[in-house]
Amino acid sequence: MKKSKIIVIAVLMTIILPFAVFAAGSADVDVDESATVSIEFWHAMSGARVDLIQGIVDKFMAENPNVEVDVQYTGSYNDTLNKVKSAYKAGNAPDIFHSYEIGTLGLINSGIISPLDVIAKKYDREIPWDDFFTPVQSYYKYQGDHYSMPFNSSTPLIFYNKSFFEKAGLDVNNPPKTYEDIRAAAVKLQAAGYKTPVTWNLHSWYFEQMICLQDEPFVNDKNGRSGELPTEVVFNGKAGQNVLDWWVGMEKDGLFLDVGPGWSNHRAAFGAGEVAIVMSSSSDVNTLTAALAEKGWEMGTGYIPRPEGAKGGVAIGGGSLWMTNNHSAEEELAALKLITFISEDESQIAWHKGTGYFPVRKTAMDQLKTEGWFNENPNYLTAFNQLLDSPETLNTSGGLLGIFPEARELIQSAIQEMYAGKPVKQALDEAAVKANASIAEWNEVIQ
Amino acid sequence: MKQSTFNNKYLPYVLLVPTFFILVVFLFYPAVETFRLSLFKIHPWTGAEKFAGLYNFIKIFTNGDYLKSFILSAYFAIVVIIAGLFFSLLIAILLNQKIKGMRFYRTFLIWPYALSPAIAGALFNFLFNPANGVLCYFTGFRTWLTDEKTAIIVVIIAAVWKNLGYNIIFYLTALRNVPASALESASIDGAGPVKRFIYITVAFLSPTTFFLFVMNTIYAYFASFGLIDVLTQGGPAGSTRVLIYHLYKDFFVHSKIGYAAAESLVLFSLVVGVTVLQFRTAGKKVHYQ
Repeated sequence: MKKSKIIVIAVLMTIILPFAVFAAGSADVDVDESATVSIEFWHAMSGARVDLIQGIVDKFMAENPNVEVDVQYTGSYNDTLNKVKSAYKAGNAPDIFHSYEIGTLGLINSGIISPLDVIAKKYDREIPWDDFFTPVQSYYKYQGDHYSMPFNSSTPLIFYNKSFFEKAGLDVNNPPKTYEDIRAAAVKLQAAGYKTPVTWNLHSWYFEQMICLQDEPFVNDKNGRSGELPTEVVFNGKAGQNVLDWWVGMEKDGLFLDVGPGWSNHRAAFGAGEVAIVMSSSSDVNTLTAALAEKGWEMGTGYIPRPEGAKGGVAIGGGSLWMTNNHSAEEELAALKLITFISEDESQIAWHKGTGYFPVRKTAMDQLKTEGWFNENPNYLTAFNQLLDSPETLNTSGGLLGIFPEARELIQSAIQEMYAGKPVKQALDEAAVKANASIAEWNEVIQ
Repeated sequence: MKQSTFNNKYLPYVLLVPTFFILVVFLFYPAVETFRLSLFKIHPWTGAEKFAGLYNFIKIFTNGDYLKSFILSAYFAIVVIIAGLFFSLLIAILLNQKIKGMRFYRTFLIWPYALSPAIAGALFNFLFNPANGVLCYFTGFRTWLTDEKTAIIVVIIAAVWKNLGYNIIFYLTALRNVPASALESASIDGAGPVKRFIYITVAFLSPTTFFLFVMNTIYAYFASFGLIDVLTQGGPAGSTRVLIYHLYKDFFVHSKIGYAAAESLVLFSLVVGVTVLQFRTAGKKVHYQ
């Protein structure tokens, strides 16, 4: 059967390729760099970001006239991954595709990708990883190799309405930093007439990040980074309970407005002045500043809160660019060049200014600083500092888990059960049991 | 009149080829493939298969969340069908009166059917979302979509509303076809409006009602996906996660291809089963002219 042939070839390629590379030393791959070649690039960034990416790619094509890049917006991360799956089975996978960070371990084990570092070595192109921010590149590094190129990177931030803080008698230049600070601020804001002053959308990402802040892992086997597939989640430990005792406790006490899942409701509530404090992605800085400015309010940003004395930091969120295997050497090299081009300063600065995602390289950051960009946009600096203040540990590199998307669903469902009255510990334990059962199945199928 | 005949024995088959081609490619092959996949454990990326017998079926039917979803779907379908048929018949009767500007009302009452489920969902989201929903503001009650008890009600109302137009069109046509002579002779026999409605109109409507019963069953089980995805994403805590949504999550998000295949077979058998049951029972009482 044709399908099984492809699989055999794919498996052989992934096994043999790295050896071939090491055996050959470097740059011995016979490749015609000036050959005309066309490659496909599928990404998951909608709206104005479609044009922004097209613009970056157009520049690349102008510099590399022999490479024709077909860029396509293929829907959400999930849609994109599903399309890549079907395309791969049909034998016409895109050369480059975009995935969310939580897809990392699944993709590493998928058998359909070529690790970025392996391809870079194969063509003797060095990627200057030292120039990348450590938290950004360490997320995508597994067992010593970078598997994909960090692209759109963000962390959560606290956004607060300075005008409301002033009315409630709070220090406008000193955002709340701990769980207790947030709660105390919320109580004051409520007393000042803001009914339910705090909100964020129902998303497991915040929960994961606040476990990182306590320097605790999300899954076993060194947070999924030991080289063995993780077998159990540990998010139901003390750290996870701390987060939700506080979060759900605020909801129970009427300080926190439950706006449900999705990314629009909490932004709308903040923009309309329904709430004074939200947590959201750092890539929302543009949108939220503008929303508040429209009403004549000023916005401040702060680090996401932690329990008193917690020593961890945030992990990077967002997405990265992956290369699929089974392409000709010419295509691979062109794809590698494009991926590298996107990570370079010029593209990253355009990307940062247009979206609010971090530039991934230090040199890009320095250039922005020299330009005075952060004097005009101090809120962008908060997100950077939060990331750079994070210690580098296995926990703040971010957990890796094959069934991460499902774990997120389970956690979100558990939080809703807690809102409805289930004890935190019980709901988390039940979610963990379900997640572990799925992990066992996944580990069996993937091998 | 002389009927034309074709002597070529193969011509009918040749003419059927295009239809069969489409049926085979888009219906039969996927159906057979689904059946086959439900018996395998499948690698989420490469599609490598490992025979697993009834493993997938055993797993889904021992999964508490799936069983909960199974019961929820039945409840959802029953309420949507009964409420949907009741309100659409009521509106169809009103629309069958002779008053001024009838065409105008008729168009507007059928309108919801022209919306895609996602747009209908967005409209209800506009009314009920907890951040700035219009009805949340007017009722002073915020948790329409974030409370387990009310979220399902909102979804049911949206699902019924969305399908009203479809049902109304069929009922309206059927009402027009109730012979005036039958109603007149009944009133000569002394039947009042209520009796006339129950004994004459309802009887004449029975084929339509039966047809709509079947179509609404299919609607409730399959077409509710868009609304739920936009309004609640199956939440809060699984309280609106009907079978079709569960299936979507298992395939498109969790990449459990074997489970998803088994679940779609379950859904398929369920709808076929309910339809056959309806034909066997209610179908016999239907009065065709």
